[in-house]
Amino acid sequence: MSLPDHPAVTLEWLVDKTRTVYSLPFFYERLSETISHPRSSIADIAKIITEDQGLTARLLRLANSPMFGYYSKVDSITKAVTIIGTQQLRDLALASSVMDVFKGIPEDLINMGDFWRHSIACGIVARSFATCLRENNVESYFVAGILHDVGQLILCTAVPDIAAKLLKRSREQEELYFLTERQELGFDHAELGGALLHAWKIPPNIYEPVSFHHFPYNETSSYSFEAAVIHVADIICQAFQWGASGECFVPPLDEHAWDRLGLPASMLNSILKQSEPQIEETFAILVEDR
Amino acid sequence: MGKLTVDQLEPGMTVASDVHDRTGRFLLGAGTELTQKHLMVFRTWGIGEVDIVGAAGGETLLPLPPEVTREQLEAAEHSLSHLFRLSNMDHPAIALLFRLAALRKAGHVPS
Repeated sequence: MSLPDHPAVTLEWLVDKTRTVYSLPFFYERLSETISHPRSSIADIAKIITEDQGLTARLLRLANSPMFGYYSKVDSITKAVTIIGTQQLRDLALASSVMDVFKGIPEDLINMGDFWRHSIACGIVARSFATCLRENNVESYFVAGILHDVGQLILCTAVPDIAAKLLKRSREQEELYFLTERQELGFDHAELGGALLHAWKIPPNIYEPVSFHHFPYNETSSYSFEAAVIHVADIICQAFQWGASGECFVPPLDEHAWDRLGLPASMLNSILKQSEPQIEETFAILVEDR
Repeated sequence: MGKLTVDQLEPGMTVASDVHDRTGRFLLGAGTELTQKHLMVFRTWGIGEVDIVGAAGGETLLPLPPEVTREQLEAAEHSLSHLFRLSNMDHPAIALLFRLAALRKAGHVPS
């Protein structure tokens, strides 16, 4: 496939182009700054969050959903900040902000409902793995999972005609979508999404797993464990066809990534049992009721 | 002796080798006969598999649940084979994932 109209579709060009059109709300930056500031109180943080009513409602519903298991007892943002944690709440606010940014993009290439269902399912499965492995900030896994395919949205909005050709080709040739991208563009949606999140100054524990979720065995990344979790979670969601992304096959499992989780294969069943009931409710909270 | 998943364990079975949790904490010694309480402890500490005396080894794939026939399972596996054709089916985790997805497609709801 030649791309005569776009002689310079590079990763940097796409990130720049996307950044001029879409930016993270100033709100997220303020929240992030307040949380990092050593003298901020929980009340300061809660005050900023409650300025955004939509976000406040979503965070409260999330805090009361089965994912957290507090059974409808979280009735204020102050309580949510205390129980869920400030870093965690910032990560959840980030996911919600990014979903807002890409709201209302044309759906002729990609069904946004299917896309977010796949992404949220991946986040939930990754979070279940992290919980099972007793990781500290399980919310960062949830958020990295939700954002793992954001690069596909960049392609569909910045260069829709190229995205259409790539999608068509991977289906016709029956090849993995991220390999088609690599062959035609020289990079894939994982790197592209990671690069945009990096440009938006999102912390590396989120953007690195996004960048490496198709090639999680990466010695230069400090977050290759997180990447391994997202890699496995993505494969699981693809296998169970929870939602859909541009990919229409189950990608091969990276053996190193699997070994790094240190779990017996038999744990898959309990991870699935734990994750599946949460998908629809979380999808309703984050996508449907906007 | 062979490994059984926690769901397959029943009181009265004998543990073939020591059971440790993920951090290496010793939970139960070889030779112990399982009671209902042990099963609960295994679940609490996230034990996935236990070595059991006399269990058929190698059967890490799930046994066929009663409501799914062999034919239904094969039909489901056939319809999923396209989705899985580029994955590494020889990896035990992918093989199990394939089986779980097929069981789901054949109408089995995990308990």
